[in-house]
Amino acid sequence: MSARLRNILLWVVALAALILLPQVVEDRYFMHIAVMAGIFTILTLSWNLLAGYTGQLNLGHAAFYGIGAYTSAILAMQTGLSPWLGLFAGGLVAALFGLMLGFPALRLSGPYLAITTIGFAEILRLVAMNWVDLTRGSLGLSGVPLLTPIQIGDFRMQFYFERDYYYVVLAAVLFTLFCIRRLIGSEFGVTLQAMRDDEAGAQSIGINPSSYKLAVFTISAFFAGFAGGLFAHFARLVSPELLALHNTFDVLTMAMIGGLGTIAGPILGAVSLTILSEALRSMEEVLKIDIRLIVYGLLLILTILFMREGLVGVIKNVWARVKGDS
Amino acid sequence: MGAILTTDRLTKNFGGLTAVNDVSFSLEQGEILGLIGPNGAGKTTLINLISGAFPPSKGTITFEGRDITREKAHTVNTLGIARTFQVVRIFSRLTALENVLAAMVDRKHKGPWSLVWDSFFRRACALTEDKEACATADSLLDFVGISKYRNEQAGNMPYALTKRLEIARALATEPKLLLLDEPSSGLNPAELTGQIDLIQKINAQGTSILIIEHVMKVIMGISHRLIVLHYGEKIAEGEPKVVYNDPLVVEAYLGGDSDAQH
Repeated sequence: MSARLRNILLWVVALAALILLPQVVEDRYFMHIAVMAGIFTILTLSWNLLAGYTGQLNLGHAAFYGIGAYTSAILAMQTGLSPWLGLFAGGLVAALFGLMLGFPALRLSGPYLAITTIGFAEILRLVAMNWVDLTRGSLGLSGVPLLTPIQIGDFRMQFYFERDYYYVVLAAVLFTLFCIRRLIGSEFGVTLQAMRDDEAGAQSIGINPSSYKLAVFTISAFFAGFAGGLFAHFARLVSPELLALHNTFDVLTMAMIGGLGTIAGPILGAVSLTILSEALRSMEEVLKIDIRLIVYGLLLILTILFMREGLVGVIKNVWARVKGDS
Repeated sequence: MGAILTTDRLTKNFGGLTAVNDVSFSLEQGEILGLIGPNGAGKTTLINLISGAFPPSKGTITFEGRDITREKAHTVNTLGIARTFQVVRIFSRLTALENVLAAMVDRKHKGPWSLVWDSFFRRACALTEDKEACATADSLLDFVGISKYRNEQAGNMPYALTKRLEIARALATEPKLLLLDEPSSGLNPAELTGQIDLIQKINAQGTSILIIEHVMKVIMGISHRLIVLHYGEKIAEGEPKVVYNDPLVVEAYLGGDSDAQH
């Protein structure tokens, strides 16, 4: 069997399993976790696009997530815009903010960029807290409309339950995955990888690093905003807490543990940590301590010390060994 | 013929240290100009200034009649100056072919957004699908003699060959002027001969060359003229044989003053 055929087969099987999952598992709580895993997959994929492929550390990613969520929610509640369009509007507004922040901020790098982006997210969080007329402050916007039903001929799909949203988020993850794979596999992606390997070398062949970083920053912000919109219409509650730093750290941890600078890594990291965090939540009630953060921190340290390439690297090594033995 | 590159009273200070001091020279169209001098003489700094890695403190650089003193590195490249580095700066996780292809992506100066557009709406969006570009890149790899490493990750190639890869990558940007920073360092005698041939072949195609080199066999063999830097200042200029016997140059190299004795 050719490698190409095997790949296609693998995709088809995986996709079929994901599509059939809600038919097998009817538990609503499980579906809720699956939806959140999907949303975090999009967030992590988008964060990784910047961090993993250009080496820029954006610690304000939650801000774009929040901007997308508020934009989509406010548009739907105040102008009656269809939430389906709102998802993309949220992405676009987040991208616009990304462009505005990236223009000055990407002149900085390393810790300076990290601090600037933290500051950006904190400022926006405070704006969301205090612009009560628009955001209802710390109460947040509740009662965000559900996604509107889709009617094609006799086929009607409504969005009430977790499993309905599961399909929306699955489609959104596939859309994000398609876009990012396309970008990374193209000439654009090779330019990014060249910059990541050696920026001075890239400049010496006529590549302007800051313009490329700005483009990636904007695209990364778009998908974060898109994920924010999905969250808004799923959770039906948007609060300033969405923009908080700990959300960015969750995303960072997922990307690092999954494998930075890969496409499979963020997916693995987001799904496994979302499930883990739910498991730990039940332990928290027993132990009465915030064990989730302790475990995340520990995992992050262990990843950095012992598996720099994350879960993807581990799987690759094991696979190579299995192949070598047989 | 006329000068393709002229520097006028070029000076670079790093804090209290003057790395390049008041250096003026011209490089003629089609010339191979050798740049020599003891360690720390400011040779690499001079190439960094010309290639736009950082701006000079004083003085001007003119390329083909255009003032490029303040241009950034990527602009300098698009104007027609390519360079290699003393310590290679290849893209270690890309293959040899991709290294060369990467240098051809942005040739039309389209910028990132048009490439983003291309990646969704153009058929042959992946570099390796562009037959024409691949053919050019392959011929360049062949030209520098590393075809058989085409699909090898650049980071896994032997050091001597990464130097050639860097040259191929620089040539992919179709430079009128090529700046070579010690292309022969770390090469064995057999490889040296190959390197001399390669540089002469590049020059024969009409590319002007500014070359820094410590290996006398190379620099004396290929340079049409030499410039000697010492403590950032130009102390000699002229035909290789004449410069080689210049008392000032001999003193700089063998150490006529107490500073250079160790």
